[in-house]
Amino acid sequence: MKEQWRLLQTGFNTAYANMAVDRALLVANSEGIVPPTVRFYGWVPPAISIGYFQSLTDEIDVDTCKKLGVNYVRRITGGGAVFHEKELTYSIVIPESHPEIPKNIMKSYGRICGAVMKGLQHLGIESEYVPINDIVTGGRKISGNAQTRKLETVLQHGTVLMDVDVDKMFSLLKVPNEKIKDKLIADVKQRVTSIKHLLGNEVSFKEVAEAMKIGFEEEFHVELIEGTLTKEEKILAVKFEKEFFSTKDWNHRR
Amino acid sequence: MRSQSIYKVPQGKLLKISVEYDEKNNIIRDIRITGDFFAYPEEAIELMETKLRNVLMEREQLLEKIRTIISEYNIQFIGVDAEGLTQGILMCKP
Repeated sequence: MKEQWRLLQTGFNTAYANMAVDRALLVANSEGIVPPTVRFYGWVPPAISIGYFQSLTDEIDVDTCKKLGVNYVRRITGGGAVFHEKELTYSIVIPESHPEIPKNIMKSYGRICGAVMKGLQHLGIESEYVPINDIVTGGRKISGNAQTRKLETVLQHGTVLMDVDVDKMFSLLKVPNEKIKDKLIADVKQRVTSIKHLLGNEVSFKEVAEAMKIGFEEEFHVELIEGTLTKEEKILAVKFEKEFFSTKDWNHRR
Repeated sequence: MRSQSIYKVPQGKLLKISVEYDEKNNIIRDIRITGDFFAYPEEAIELMETKLRNVLMEREQLLEKIRTIISEYNIQFIGVDAEGLTQGILMCKP
């Protein structure tokens, strides 16, 4: 019989709640009280997440975010700034000791990205993993990923772009050199893609989630059983949202 | 004086470093290492910043200090390494 993991479909939430739930899952999993878990979610309102090591004010135009009603949040994972609007975000939490997870961090990125790639394949999109943390199709990025390891537990989360508005994204992000901003935007438009762009039509969040579910099941030879957050996870998530992800102390700490 | 650098690590990530540089003594007074790289554990970056205070702004000293911190605290960097950090720090020197 196949190993059973938990699938969480937590729908659309704020940036603060989303990052709080991922951290709560990591803590709960590290305590051995929940099975390995795959979660699919979205962001409402749209939001920018920045990597743990980034400077918030270096990366984000806070005033424009406020004007456009875009949230911003610091992740517990490294990596770059991401504008989350029309996308499916996944997260996976699993013990570092799990036999399906390579001890080597780079190898484990490749393995988890493999699940996303298999999911894309079910939508008719061929892609490849490009280290360190991207999935590209036809040379263009369709997914960015970030992993942390804490409490002997792996948390990786990442995006699957369903549609992308590069102009809007750059109105919210700061660039190192304003003079070359137009060129940068033109370059990024050439370097990113989305499911809608590739297939020529919109694919619903639900369809993408269904494909990704199959992708994770195939990559890890498991069965994903839809479940819910435990009471403890909910309590932890509320605590983390209040104490970290919604606070200026956390978001502006670098 | 406060001085900043932006350095794209070869085959790696974009490093943005800000240094409070003591020109008279050629040392780091304070340092902030930011960017889109990865480090495990993440909290090690704050430790690295603290340990780099009062270090001489010279390649050899910086490289040795950073390598020592990495090995002592078992830090794993992805997208940046000791050479990249050293280069980014030195670029803050006017």
